[in-house]
Amino acid sequence: MDFTLKIWRQENAQAKGHFETYKLTGISPDCSFLEMLDILNETLINDNIAHPVVFDNDCREGICGMCGLYINGRPHGPDDGVTTCQLHMRRFKDGDTITIEPWRAKAFPIIKDLVVDRSAFDKIIQEGGYISATTGGVPDANAIPIPKQDADEAMDAASCIGCGACVAACKNASAMLFVSAKVSQFALLPQGKPEAKRRVVKMIKKMDELGFGGCTNTYACEAECPKSIKKTNIARMNREFICSKCTSNEQ
Amino acid sequence: MKLIKLASISKKLCMGALGAFLLVFLPFHMGMNLCILRDDGGEWYRNVCHFMGTNYIVKVFEVILLACVVFHIVMGIILAIENKMSRPVGYAVANKSKTHSGSKYMIWTGGIILVFLIIHFVDFYFAKMGLVEGKYVVKVEKVERAFQEKAMKMQQGQLKEADLKELQAQYMAIQSMSREKVSKNEKYFINLNKEEVQVVCGKDFEDYEPDFYNMAKEKFHSPLYVLIYLLTFIILAVHLFHGVSSVFQTYGLNVQMYQKAINGLAWFYAVVIPMGFAIVPLIVYFTK
Repeated sequence: MDFTLKIWRQENAQAKGHFETYKLTGISPDCSFLEMLDILNETLINDNIAHPVVFDNDCREGICGMCGLYINGRPHGPDDGVTTCQLHMRRFKDGDTITIEPWRAKAFPIIKDLVVDRSAFDKIIQEGGYISATTGGVPDANAIPIPKQDADEAMDAASCIGCGACVAACKNASAMLFVSAKVSQFALLPQGKPEAKRRVVKMIKKMDELGFGGCTNTYACEAECPKSIKKTNIARMNREFICSKCTSNEQ
Repeated sequence: MKLIKLASISKKLCMGALGAFLLVFLPFHMGMNLCILRDDGGEWYRNVCHFMGTNYIVKVFEVILLACVVFHIVMGIILAIENKMSRPVGYAVANKSKTHSGSKYMIWTGGIILVFLIIHFVDFYFAKMGLVEGKYVVKVEKVERAFQEKAMKMQQGQLKEADLKELQAQYMAIQSMSREKVSKNEKYFINLNKEEVQVVCGKDFEDYEPDFYNMAKEKFHSPLYVLIYLLTFIILAVHLFHGVSSVFQTYGLNVQMYQKAINGLAWFYAVVIPMGFAIVPLIVYFTK
């Protein structure tokens, strides 16, 4: 398969970026999207055309949340429920022009080319994405009864890999789906109760501070999430927020 | 940088609450408009207008409603600007993600509705406040009483020559009032302009009301106005469909159990309400 690639190139955070066009021929339909970029980089280096295109990737199994490219107007490309590394070239037509952009958000500054700094997510987690645990002997497994439904929903929320596709897809670059998943996974479980009231308020405060936008219930995040995190998590977070504000005993 | 120092969710909650209050008002206005369609020469509609224009509870709500409209608009603009600021550099390829209908265009559909609101206010509300010239309606009974009071004064010799002349003109005017200017049930003088009001009722008479029935009918006879009106309500349908289903999500009520009820309410607001409004100018226009 032959492709024309329009790729965003930017030397560093301060530099002015631009699109560069590359032609790539003889790509196998079974090639993954990142392998295709590997091939491109190999030709760029071997033929001494340009510096290789820098992009984030790690496990290439769709579980680490490291990869993330905005491909033809959709984060993680045209497939639903997969990360960029799980996307294959057979999803494109021979001769297609593919535009590849980095995540665009004020809170995700570009480091180089297609790599953005997603440490904003870590800062949000630091505000409340944890639970208190007692020291001492190891408690019995399943000592605390948890309804199956709640356990399942908490597990679904916890499957968020923090890739940032929700922010990239959102017209407001809002991190609501990410934060709501992180709030929900604890809100649904008894282990998360001690910090519950403070957690939601602090994490949202941090999210706002970092320059993420607000939610306008557009649900592009849900459509693009590679882990299919549901928008009901956002409703749950709103609920938690209202309850926390109404019942908080802090001054 | 944020324009309002509130948590993003709190701002959204305000926006939702204001919008929800505006939603309550729409069925009332729709019901009122539907009264125009009753073939009674506007009696029902006039009674409703009289009630809405004079009842004190309604007047209080009118002020609250206006405040809500203003806050909803101001808040909407501020939120749109803030949200825009969170992505300083946009994408080269426009986003193609699947989104909830209308949700991406709330600020634009809202803007169009605002333009219509301004036109609507200038046409009707300003006439009510006396800022622009409208058409007026007066109860026949009231005119006659005012006339009799003056006639009484004349008999007692309290009136000057000039007033006498005015009274004569008034009498002539009432007598010669053309049939089109009298309502079907002969209770009202209708469709009067300000000059006619003064001739019929005398200069210092203040007890007249705007004739919204004839003003609306006149507007609905213009094809351009009907077209603007219909387009606005299509836009309103889009705005409401997202707004109604969205407010439940914002308030955290988006639970699977209520999903059907919420969708039902969203469709009611998106279809029934705009249709109820749109049917009035259509029927008036095609049966004139």
